Amino acid sequence: MRLYKKEGSTIQIISFPSERVNKGDYLVIADSSTGKGIIVQVVEIQYANIPGFLEELLRSCNDDYSIQGEDVDPFEMSNHIRYIQDAHLLICKIRAVYSNKGPVFASSLLPSRSRAKIKKISTERLFAQKKPNIKYLANLGETTEKNQLEVDIRALDGSLNIITGKKGTGKSHISKLLTLSLVSQGAPVVILDLNSEYTGLGQDSDGKPNRFHKQIHILTPGHNLKVTLKQLKLGVMTSILVNALNLPGTSAREFRRIWRFLEQNGNLTMQDLGSAIKSWKCNQHVRDALFSRYYTILGSGLFTDDPMQAISLEDSLKKSRVGGAVVIDLRDTSTIDRLIVVEYVLGKIVELLSRWKLKAIFLFAEEAHLYLRETYWDDIVTRMRHFGVFTTFITNQPDTIRENIYRQADNLFLFNFTNEHDLETISRASKVDAETIKSIAHDLPLHHCVVLGNIVNDFPIVVKVRKLDVYAKGHTRLFFSSKTNFREVIQQ
Amino acid sequence: MVNAQLPITTPPKYNFPLPSMHAENLQLPKQFVELSLRSLKKLENTQQMSKRNSENSSLINENSKIDFPRLIRLKPNQTSTPVMAIDVSSIKIGETETGLLLAIRGAIIWKHANRYQYLRIGPFPFHIYEENKNLISSILRNHSQLAQFQDFTIPNSFYIQSRLTAIFERWIQTSINQITNNSLILFDGSLASGSFEHSLESITQMLRTARSNQNIILAFSKMTRLVFRGQRLTDLILKHPPPCLLKMANYFTNTRLTHFFGSVYVAKLSGANYAFRLDIDNAIPEIKAIEAVKKLLGNDLILQSYPETLRLAHIYSTFTAAEVLGIQRWISQEADLRIITKPNLRRLLFGRFGKGPEG
Ligand SMILES: Nc1ncnc2c1ncn2[C@@H]1O[C@H](COP(=O)(O)OP(=O)(O)OP(=O)(O)O)[C@@H](O)[C@H]1O
Ligand SMILES: [Mg+2]
Repeated sequence: MRLYKKEGSTIQIISFPSERVNKGDYLVIADSSTGKGIIVQVVEIQYANIPGFLEELLRSCNDDYSIQGEDVDPFEMSNHIRYIQDAHLLICKIRAVYSNKGPVFASSLLPSRSRAKIKKISTERLFAQKKPNIKYLANLGETTEKNQLEVDIRALDGSLNIITGKKGTGKSHISKLLTLSLVSQGAPVVILDLNSEYTGLGQDSDGKPNRFHKQIHILTPGHNLKVTLKQLKLGVMTSILVNALNLPGTSAREFRRIWRFLEQNGNLTMQDLGSAIKSWKCNQHVRDALFSRYYTILGSGLFTDDPMQAISLEDSLKKSRVGGAVVIDLRDTSTIDRLIVVEYVLGKIVELLSRWKLKAIFLFAEEAHLYLRETYWDDIVTRMRHFGVFTTFITNQPDTIRENIYRQADNLFLFNFTNEHDLETISRASKVDAETIKSIAHDLPLHHCVVLGNIVNDFPIVVKVRKLDVYAKGHTRLFFSSKTNFREVIQQ
Repeated sequence: MVNAQLPITTPPKYNFPLPSMHAENLQLPKQFVELSLRSLKKLENTQQMSKRNSENSSLINENSKIDFPRLIRLKPNQTSTPVMAIDVSSIKIGETETGLLLAIRGAIIWKHANRYQYLRIGPFPFHIYEENKNLISSILRNHSQLAQFQDFTIPNSFYIQSRLTAIFERWIQTSINQITNNSLILFDGSLASGSFEHSLESITQMLRTARSNQNIILAFSKMTRLVFRGQRLTDLILKHPPPCLLKMANYFTNTRLTHFFGSVYVAKLSGANYAFRLDIDNAIPEIKAIEAVKKLLGNDLILQSYPETLRLAHIYSTFTAAEVLGIQRWISQEADLRIITKPNLRRLLFGRFGKGPEG
């Protein structure tokens, strides 16, 4: 490999056919004369622009017929000629500059073209510069050089993460992997599970309990996720009414009075709440507004007056404090009820965190735009983050996540995207250059992702995500599944 | 330094897949390969150099006694006849500290079952420098098997490049004529013994072989410089509908340096406004010669008055920029010669690309 050109943070390298280089690989350009080296990543591979190659093709191109023949090449020059014709141009991005003493900041470094030695560098060597604590290592899968990619899972601590990629590429899969890695490190995780995909986390692929079985708590609203009003803080209830159900300010004020009144009388039940609204002295509009919200809440099935039925989220969360995942199964929950449930869950989490009942929580939110109210987005990256809610957004529609969220993201797990618009959205907002994102993400095979951010020391790395031995649920339901036998279907 | 590790051992044989060709094999000229190998080795003994006389003969003939060109109209003859074309190119690969590096390659194209096929021979590398110019020219002299070597002075590199190219081309032409019969064989150039070629014998021999195998050689060349009574020959023919020929009787006369073996025609073979000089062995009766051109029309694709087979031979022998780079790589890896100045590839592309000496 030979150094060819440098333009800003892009370095172009000529490589020859014998040197196998893949997109995403890392190279080190070492210049012994200065004692400095540059670590670059190959983000694009092109044909080397050999002068006159186009003319060559045009001249030897015969559209009507192809010419066959043979070369008598006594000096065996054809190998050398092919070597030139098949030379590649590697477009690389500078990822780090280091001297003998360690990393330095010197983006203006211009290595010698004649003396610089260019070699591939494995991701293991790349990471060796910053020794992670073995205890916290999580195996994400295999790199292109077939090495295991072990990352320090603590990089997720305190951070905001995004997992994105087109449908079916393996986003939920890696978020399961991250969840289990966190759980096995003793961290508490909450998953907002839209398709009931995470409910098999406690079982192996045959459906038998696995080693995480006791640490996975599945809560289904209306079934085993029910609360009594007594367990609820007024603040959480008002945010449900105001944020999820758009209750106007004056009505909300009236509601607080009713709540306090019931609380004082020790009658804080759904039934008493209903009667209280009915008999409360207030404007008819306010009463109507309160009633409509009351019935929505009643219908959600989230609330009960029977303390025996109530299963507190708080208990599950507390159990997770030493490692556990609470899966909120939202599959059979209606849109409006989802808003209520999420409002409740997030409210509860913040309440527990603010009372230091929990140190921090890792929240995984699948397709959050379907249940997260507008104002929560900013809340999540600011206020909630300070409380200790570390969120991972998972989506196949990158434009549902706002630009400022991408900008603040500490880690990005990017799966394949072929849609230019999607790639544009991500590249515009991410910390890594657009070329890297577009070029690498465009070519990622199934189940491969490029990991960007702190977790990989800011060295974007392509990884084939490892398999997981968990019970696979939440497969997209198909009519024409392979097992469907139409005759059977008709006879049934 | 070139050593025994060079990949060449014995000159390979090549079997032509063309049925009309005789079973004989095309044997690479051993001497040519050896010459190439020897040229790449450094020589110890230095020899005196002296300047070479420059020679050049203009093709413009203003002799007013030339007959008026005779127009011959043509009709394609579809009788199936093999068509073959030969072309050779040489190119300067670079300069070393001591001399010049060349590469030579030949291409043979033939049409078989409505498909064009090619055989390329080479590239052959040559290293020409002061100390071995004499050696090369003496080998060349021996090779041409001609006693009266007219130019005994030490030749310049340009001259050597042309000579090497000519010898190689003549060798391919002769070999093809030996192994084929009843074919049309197209050359790039004229049927004259070039002033620097000293190959009166070799061209005579080659034409004799062709005749004995019932081959007819059609040599095409550009003729922008040919003038008749102040008018360019190209302009003379353009008013006639194609395909047609103008026969230029006694347009050229033999000189001490140049001997003409061909009857000279101006050929306008297709609709476009292009015409070429066409030389056909003057020992062949005119009627046979004309018939050969008609068969060419019936058997080859003619684009812009030029036979496709010959165009392809030109393309396939010509060196491309990538090939020049590849040969340079070969030189530095296999021959251990350091190239100090390399030709400007861009200029190569837009100039006379890889065709013959470019000075
Ligand atoms: N690394 C992997 N190894 C083996 N199988 C995988 C891997 N990643 C994903 N899969 C399988 O591929 C399928 C799709 O994966 P997954 O559900 O994670 O994709 P997704 O990107 O979340 O899709 P969607 O956009 O529909 O949510 C699943 O059956 C999953 O088990
Ligand atoms: Mg998914």
